Amino acid sequence: MPDKYQRIDFRDAIAKNKWKSFFLMFMIFCVIIALGYVIGKAWGALDIFSILIIAIIISISYLLITYYNSDKIALFSVNAREAKREDYKLYYDVVEGITIASGLPMPKLYVMPSEQINAFASGRDPKHSVVCVTKGALEKLDRRELEGVVAHELGHIGSYDIRYMTLVAVMVGIISIISEIFLRSLWFRGGGGNSRENRGNAIFVVIGVILAILAPILVFFVQMAISRKREFSADASAVKFTRYPPGLIGALEKIKYQNVPDKKVTKAVAPLFFANPFKEIGSTHPSIEKRIELLKRM
Amino acid sequence: MPLGALGWLGIGIIVLIIIIIFSYFNRFAILGNRIDNSLGQIDVQLKRRADLIPNLVETVKGYAKHEKSTIKEVTDARKALVGASGLTERVKAGDRLQSALGRLFAIAENYPNLKANENFLELQRELTSTEDKISYARQFYNDSILSYNNLCKTFPGVIFAGIFGKKPREYLQITEAERKAVRVKFE
Repeated sequence: MPDKYQRIDFRDAIAKNKWKSFFLMFMIFCVIIALGYVIGKAWGALDIFSILIIAIIISISYLLITYYNSDKIALFSVNAREAKREDYKLYYDVVEGITIASGLPMPKLYVMPSEQINAFASGRDPKHSVVCVTKGALEKLDRRELEGVVAHELGHIGSYDIRYMTLVAVMVGIISIISEIFLRSLWFRGGGGNSRENRGNAIFVVIGVILAILAPILVFFVQMAISRKREFSADASAVKFTRYPPGLIGALEKIKYQNVPDKKVTKAVAPLFFANPFKEIGSTHPSIEKRIELLKRM
Repeated sequence: MPLGALGWLGIGIIVLIIIIIFSYFNRFAILGNRIDNSLGQIDVQLKRRADLIPNLVETVKGYAKHEKSTIKEVTDARKALVGASGLTERVKAGDRLQSALGRLFAIAENYPNLKANENFLELQRELTSTEDKISYARQFYNDSILSYNNLCKTFPGVIFAGIFGKKPREYLQITEAERKAVRVKFE
């Protein structure tokens, strides 16, 4: 049998993604504690020790909650509903077909109310995975095209991309919230008395501002770098599952000509999607042209 | 009696060898199970298709009584599938049923009332899906055999295959072109 029929082997990708997810969670743990410390100092809190303890408790509980609920958070943020088998027979059929082709367990299926053609997968591992497609995708794509999109998402699931990508998305969300809260809190404290203590805290205020501005930017770049490569490899696994590149190519072409930017999608969840919901340069996804070109060569 | 450096080295090597033997044994077991499971999946889908046929035949009869030979071919092919034993035979019977169904759906084009029948459309959709699942199950079966055979034939797996008495298994013969042609026809 020729080489292209080699069963897709996720083993390397899985190990890498698990390690990266762990590393990411550890980094977030440190960042939250550091932010807590700096913010505490900037506010001029006297008992820095108890602030650290609070920061540790917050970061651990936050990490546990995101690890076990990242899929629900992502689904909630796009207003997705569980798809019932009676209402979405074709959707179920297509996903069942691809689970047979890939040997992956059946994910839970969701639909999100958007006219765009798009989809994403989430969850912490293949046994706890979800696939969500837009209403637009179900209406506008034919069977083979939908199959291509679903196969792409199952590619993300099989390689544990979902764990890492969803963690990143949720983390980005929380870091931008924390820094926003901090920046805003400064407005209310500005122009306080001129005691010595306040001057001592000035340096921490500056550090805090720099951190608060830099953190989301940094996370954004990390996010961009990680998701491009993953899209190509998920396309490749989609072809290995369906053995039918024209399906996926058709879906990408429809997206290219029919999709209009969706403003309801928050930036944090953008990298999870099959195609970039915003249509911007320097985005989280490789260009559709590039993806089609590579698929045509398969 | 205290162990020297050589003694420890010896113990280390033995432990390492045991770990390697265990891991290869497990890999053979896992890949072998995967083949058996995917075989089960093919059967599930073939049976599902066989179950859908009587209903389909009844619906078609209501609108296209005169197409006796085509209907009979579908019923016969189904009987052959239900009665078939052994994987190759079952798959062959499945192929026969599939082409009979293809002809039946082609004929349905001539009967506008049948084509508009809710029940018929539903059955057609289900049969198309089952068809897809059968071909995906076959694909997965062959993929599983490929991984297993690669393990059996490449070094160092080939040594353990000899020790455990594992032999490469047979692929299911299906031509890719045949499958795609049928998939298009159904749409």
